[in-house]
Amino acid sequence: MKHFTYNDMAFAIDKTGNGWTIARQLPDGALAVVGAELFQDMPDHEAVARAQTLVRTIYPVGIKIVGPDVTHPNRVGDLKIVGPDVNHPNFICWNKDSTSFAK
Amino acid sequence: MEIKGSVALVTGGDDGIGEAVAKFFAKRGAKVVIVGRAQKHIDRVVKEIKDACGAVIGVQADVTSEADTAKFIRATLVAFGKLNIAVTCAGIIHDGTMLTLDKVTGKVSHKLSLDKWQSVIDVDLTGTFLTLRDAAEAMVNGGWEGLLVPIASVNKVGQVGQMNYSSAKVADALMPKIIIGEFLMRGIRNIRCVGIAPGYTRTSMLTGMNQDALKAILADVHLGRLVEPDEIAAMIGHCVENGALNATTIEITGGLCYPSGIAK
Repeated sequence: MKHFTYNDMAFAIDKTGNGWTIARQLPDGALAVVGAELFQDMPDHEAVARAQTLVRTIYPVGIKIVGPDVTHPNRVGDLKIVGPDVNHPNFICWNKDSTSFAK
Repeated sequence: MEIKGSVALVTGGDDGIGEAVAKFFAKRGAKVVIVGRAQKHIDRVVKEIKDACGAVIGVQADVTSEADTAKFIRATLVAFGKLNIAVTCAGIIHDGTMLTLDKVTGKVSHKLSLDKWQSVIDVDLTGTFLTLRDAAEAMVNGGWEGLLVPIASVNKVGQVGQMNYSSAKVADALMPKIIIGEFLMRGIRNIRCVGIAPGYTRTSMLTGMNQDALKAILADVHLGRLVEPDEIAAMIGHCVENGALNATTIEITGGLCYPSGIAK
C-alpha cells in the first residue's frame, strides 16, 4: 500500500485482485473508498501515477480560507495589524499606482 | 451496445434512482462513475459497489457548475479511459403554486419565489444540459459508442404545484429529439439519446411523505404500487442494449392516470 498527502488530505493506493483501490482518510481516521478496480493490467508505476492524477482531478485545489489569528499581538483596538512578510519569496513591492497601468 | 465493459456516468448516483442505475450497471460489468452532491452518500454507494467487486469512482460535484462538469468528465477519462453512457439522475424539487391567496381577503399572500424557481431550473434543466453536452463532447472526440439518457418525469405533462419542475422536465424530455436531430445534421452517428420519464418511484423522497397523500397517489396508479428504482434501471439497461431506441423519451409509470381514469 502506498500513501500520499495532497491538499491536506491523506490517500492510500492499494493493489487489489483486479486492479487498484484508492482510499481517502476521513477526519476520524477511517478510510473512504475513492475508487476501486482501477487501472487493471497497467504497470505498477503507471497505475500509481494515474491514481495521483485522478485524485488531483477529483479533489482540485481551491482557495483555503484561513480565519484571522485573533491571538496575534499587533492590534489597534479590534483591528489586527499584520505587516507583510517582506522576506517571503512571493512578496512584491509595488510602488506604482493603478493610473500608471498600461492601457 | 453491451453494458459489460462500458463506462457509465450517473449524476445523482448517490441516492434514489441514480443509485439503482449505478448499481445495475456495475452488477452487469460496466465501470461506473458516481456523481453526487453529498460526499457521505457517495462514499456509501462507492463502497457498496466496491464490495460487490465493481469498478467505480465517486466524484462530488454540482451539476450546475461548468467547472464541476468538466471535473467529473475528466475524472471519468483518467479512471477508465472512455465514456459510453451518461445518465442524468440529479434532480431536485421545490414545490409550490405560483400564487397563494389569503383565505380571508382573497388577495395574493405569497408568490413562488425566484429562488425556488431558479434552483430547480438550474439543477433539473441546466445541470442535465451541461452533463449531456460535455459527455457528448467526450464521446465524439473519443470516437466511442455512446448513449445519453436525460431523466425527465411523467410530470412533464404539467403538474399543479410544480411549475418549476414540470417546466424543466418537459424540456429534458424534448432533448433526445433535438440532440439526435443535431447529431444527424453534424454527421455524429456513434451516439444515441433516449430519455426516461419515470412515474412515482419508491425513493426516499416519496416513502418519507405523508402516507395518506401517498395512498391517494397510488389510487391513480394502475399497477397499484410505486415503481421500483430497479425497474427504471432495467429500462435504461434495455435502452443501452437496444440500438433501435433513439430520439425519444420513454415513460415508465406503472400506468399513472388522472383521477378521471385517463392515462397521464
